[in-house]
Amino acid sequence: MIEVINPAWLSMVVDGGRFGHADIGVPSSSVLDRYSYTALCSLLGYAADIPVLEIMGHDFSFRVSTDLSCAITGAQVTAFVDNMPVIPWSVFRIKAGSTIRVKEVTEGLRYYLGFSGIIDAAKVAGSYTTNLECRFGGYFGRPFLKGDRITLKDVRVPDKRTVDGSLIPSMKAPHTLRVIDGEEGDRFSPETLKTLFENDGDPWYKVSTKANRTGIRLEGRPLEFRKGVEQSIISEGILPGVVQIPGDGQPIIVLYERTIGGYARIGHVIKADRDLLAHLRPLDGVRFQRIGPEEAERLWDEKMARYYDMLPK
Amino acid sequence: MDWTRYGEEGIRIVFGSTINTDVHEKVRQYYFFLRSLHLKEIIDIIPSFTTCIICFDSRLTSFSALVSLLKEKERDLSQMEIPAPATHTIPVMYGGQYGPDMEFVCSYAGLSADEVVEIHSGIVYTVFAVGFMPGFPYMGTLDKRLFVPRLETPRLKVNEGSVGVAQFQTGIYSFESPGGWRIIGKTDVKLFDHTAPPYSLLKIGDHVRFVPA
Repeated sequence: MIEVINPAWLSMVVDGGRFGHADIGVPSSSVLDRYSYTALCSLLGYAADIPVLEIMGHDFSFRVSTDLSCAITGAQVTAFVDNMPVIPWSVFRIKAGSTIRVKEVTEGLRYYLGFSGIIDAAKVAGSYTTNLECRFGGYFGRPFLKGDRITLKDVRVPDKRTVDGSLIPSMKAPHTLRVIDGEEGDRFSPETLKTLFENDGDPWYKVSTKANRTGIRLEGRPLEFRKGVEQSIISEGILPGVVQIPGDGQPIIVLYERTIGGYARIGHVIKADRDLLAHLRPLDGVRFQRIGPEEAERLWDEKMARYYDMLPK
Repeated sequence: MDWTRYGEEGIRIVFGSTINTDVHEKVRQYYFFLRSLHLKEIIDIIPSFTTCIICFDSRLTSFSALVSLLKEKERDLSQMEIPAPATHTIPVMYGGQYGPDMEFVCSYAGLSADEVVEIHSGIVYTVFAVGFMPGFPYMGTLDKRLFVPRLETPRLKVNEGSVGVAQFQTGIYSFESPGGWRIIGKTDVKLFDHTAPPYSLLKIGDHVRFVPA
């Protein structure tokens, strides 16, 4: 049993995502940083999707009432078991009665906490992940609150695995997001596209405070539509990473909580850069770089080979 | 039909460029065709007004391989039996505390509340898409007399079950959420039940008739 002492700013149960129901509007609500999630599962010795905690903010702390093992991945944090520092991206053992506290987040935004047992969460439409907006899945469909008790099933003792430091990605701002062309790119003037894509100096966009699991709003030079073109589109299916431009010209990067959208699409953040979206903090600088689909595929294969395939098995 | 890449793991199939029942019927037919294939390569299908978006598993296939596979299977499309649309009757409490925008719609349209109710409940609507949130139906086509613009500033909170209109469409908020449609009534019918399949009361192509409660 785990008792939440401080739930930090936002902590919730997530997994690899809820798929197969987008036709009735059910979004994947998946973990935002899939690489950190995969690393966490592999550290704890799980091959398949297990429910883990996705946490934002400092001072997350909990007490355990049984001996178990844990690991933390994602954003870089300083954490302690009682007063002993914990090495992130490694399995550590904790004794019954211990308190674990994540003191601060030093780089990135979201961190992931997993246990050597399966969190007893609600599986809805094939997934444990929490749909916060509709309040289903995860821990009673809601974020954790002080005093919540998490039960673990099938607790085991995993090997003391660790992820090599070279496999921990950088999450430092400013961020460069590579995108492939969107469907409505031709509704913008060449100068506007240049504003977005050809920028080697200071980033022109900053992450706004209006960022959540549904999307990340950016603020900066408004992108201008060509004169006389329709600004919205007939609503249609959208996928994570789509960069939408609403009427005010400020980009919105779509994340994992929507299946249909009606704004002009100027690009798609490539798969290799999508994990980084979990770590964009308000006021971080963001640059975009335009590449082709083949290049995007190559970068993904490279990321698989360099990171995913190197995780402990 | 026009096939294009949609990001790295998506295929966008465009069936038309305007919203009408012919295009909708093509989308719907293709959606049921895709489902009938039970391909493990396809993770999700999002049918809407004029397009079908396919999200595929890039570990199992690629854009070009999946497009060729689908084009090959398409030969069977004409023989496929498409499920008949279900028809639903949804009771609505119109106006008053349930329809905070009824007054606006009346004045914008130059109609009385009774006339708005009569017109809105006098049509059998088609579900063109389900999305925005789980179970939310985008339905059309509304009688032209009820065409109204969306709110300029969306409300932070629209109650679950709220029945709204926006331009040519009408919809029902399946959950409490922010929203910009003009709300003219409310239903108690549950549109989404996460505890049991098929979860959503409505699916693409279904017919909906509102009755004043």
